[in-house]
Amino acid sequence: MSDVLASRTAFGGVPARRLFDVRDIGKSFGGIHAVRSVSFELDEGIVFAIIGPNGAGKSTLLNLLSGNYQPDTGSLTFDGVDLAGMPAYRRARLGIARTFQKIRLFKHLTVLENVIAGFHIHRQVPIWEYVWPSRVSLADRRRWREEAQELLSFVRLSDRADAIAGSLAYGQQRMLEIARALATRPRLFMLDEPAAGLNNAEASFLLERLDILRQRRMTVILVEHNMDLVMNVADRIFVLETGQKLFTGTPAEVQRDPAVIAAYLGEELH
Amino acid sequence: MSDTTSGTSVLPSGRSGDYVRWLSLLACVAVIIVLPFVFRDAYWRGILTICAINILLAIGLDFIFGYAGQLSLGHSAFSGIGAYVSTVLVTSFGFNFWVAFVCGVLGAGLAGVLLSAFAVRLKGHYLAIASLGFAVITYQILVNWISVTQGPLGIYGIPSPPSLSIPGLPEISFANQQMYFYLVASFALLTYIVLRNLISSPIGDALIAVREDEVSAASLGIYGTKWKVVAFGVGCSIAGMAGCFYASFIGTLVPDAFFITESFMILAMVVIGGRGNLWGAVLGAVLLTVVPELLRGIGDFRLIIYGLALTFVALFLPGGLSGVIIQAMRRMGLAVSGVKGDAHV
Repeated sequence: MSDVLASRTAFGGVPARRLFDVRDIGKSFGGIHAVRSVSFELDEGIVFAIIGPNGAGKSTLLNLLSGNYQPDTGSLTFDGVDLAGMPAYRRARLGIARTFQKIRLFKHLTVLENVIAGFHIHRQVPIWEYVWPSRVSLADRRRWREEAQELLSFVRLSDRADAIAGSLAYGQQRMLEIARALATRPRLFMLDEPAAGLNNAEASFLLERLDILRQRRMTVILVEHNMDLVMNVADRIFVLETGQKLFTGTPAEVQRDPAVIAAYLGEELH
Repeated sequence: MSDTTSGTSVLPSGRSGDYVRWLSLLACVAVIIVLPFVFRDAYWRGILTICAINILLAIGLDFIFGYAGQLSLGHSAFSGIGAYVSTVLVTSFGFNFWVAFVCGVLGAGLAGVLLSAFAVRLKGHYLAIASLGFAVITYQILVNWISVTQGPLGIYGIPSPPSLSIPGLPEISFANQQMYFYLVASFALLTYIVLRNLISSPIGDALIAVREDEVSAASLGIYGTKWKVVAFGVGCSIAGMAGCFYASFIGTLVPDAFFITESFMILAMVVIGGRGNLWGAVLGAVLLTVVPELLRGIGDFRLIIYGLALTFVALFLPGGLSGVIIQAMRRMGLAVSGVKGDAHV
């Protein structure tokens, strides 16, 4: 399990390394500033939560980081690589994986096939090995099926491997999307509201899984509304309001900050 | 789309899977060998060869449309490019058939790559219109570039492929209809196997991922544009192959053989057979080759029948005939192997 989840994440006694540098990025849609001059730095092994009221620009920000949108201003540097103009698929190859707020599975494919699609960038066998059934291609297929099964057991979907993804319960679909993204062996894993639509049991299972990822020192950016989840799992919290930074700090600091309480947390903390 | 846990998409692996695979291959070879003995008259033997050519066209388009999800209405044009390139090289430049064949296949594939590289940003209907436009332009070129293509008069007296002599065996002449059928059918079978293997490889995974959701695919590092171009390159090469065989089989070549209605015909084969299913495309190709022959008496009224059949399938059987068969087999509890990502079942 450890290789599946963390083979591209450096950890151990080494001091944390700067992984992601976000400088002054902004994005407008037809005159509306969805994200305005947002900056933050992210060290390896940190769980970084982005919170904020609805419409604050959280999902836009995530889309700017993943390459689904390109920023109008500012710069993004991932592990020393400038991401300017880089499309989503190339960022994924650098190790930036994501899930979507509105679940985007390959819903006509099976659960197992969804995860196997996530291994795409790691399947290095030359094409001609597949043209005719060879020992290599069969071994390759078997190997990735096994790895996919491992990820499925991590999200507790082993017994649904051959089910059609679209037929899963909502919460299971969320977990499958997480397994599929983990299949890319991310160095940075971004989750867009993973707890949305989950019941309490499912949300606490999600929390438990995220905690395992954190213990394995995976770098995570978490956009989330569920404050229980955020306060329990995040190392640092970034509060976004109307596209701008309102506050950033540890969960304890965020809970104490009067501006944050006024803007967002208010009723939930009382 | 109901909840299913029967291992439908799981490719057979291990010994029993190999066993099944070899048995089905043997069965296909046996059928190909026996067919000309069942259909002894020259007319129906000709239909057999046309069947094999149409199978090539249909599985090539299924690769593009069924697996990569790109609706191309220009498939006949690529077949025409293959046919004209190989034929002109043989008749005007004296090339050996097989050299010209390779050029025809590559030429059609290259045309597919070029078209898709430009058209790949277009989605759905727009791509369909662009590919249709390409087919119209190609047709006009074939009609009007008289110095090379002879225009509507056509090219006559196209020779059969050179005879094959294997030491110790009698010479195999492809002027013989039976032998020519064996030749085309072998290529169709080989192409089928190669396509099936590609589809069950990471290439197939990538194509299907792009078809299902390009944004999701990109988040996994899959570059949609590249895989669409690959699909066009492969599918159009196969169309070119079909065109080469068609030209040397019929012996004459006129642009009308590659008019856009032929594209719709090939599309109908894929849709009626069930897209995203190679054997469905084969089934559709055989049906739409044989049934029209049986309906020859009613002339162009058969176009109405195709239209109705196509509409019926599109409305009521989105998985085509193969989809119906797969569902029936599932209901009987039979595992269906190797149907990765069949979109509508």
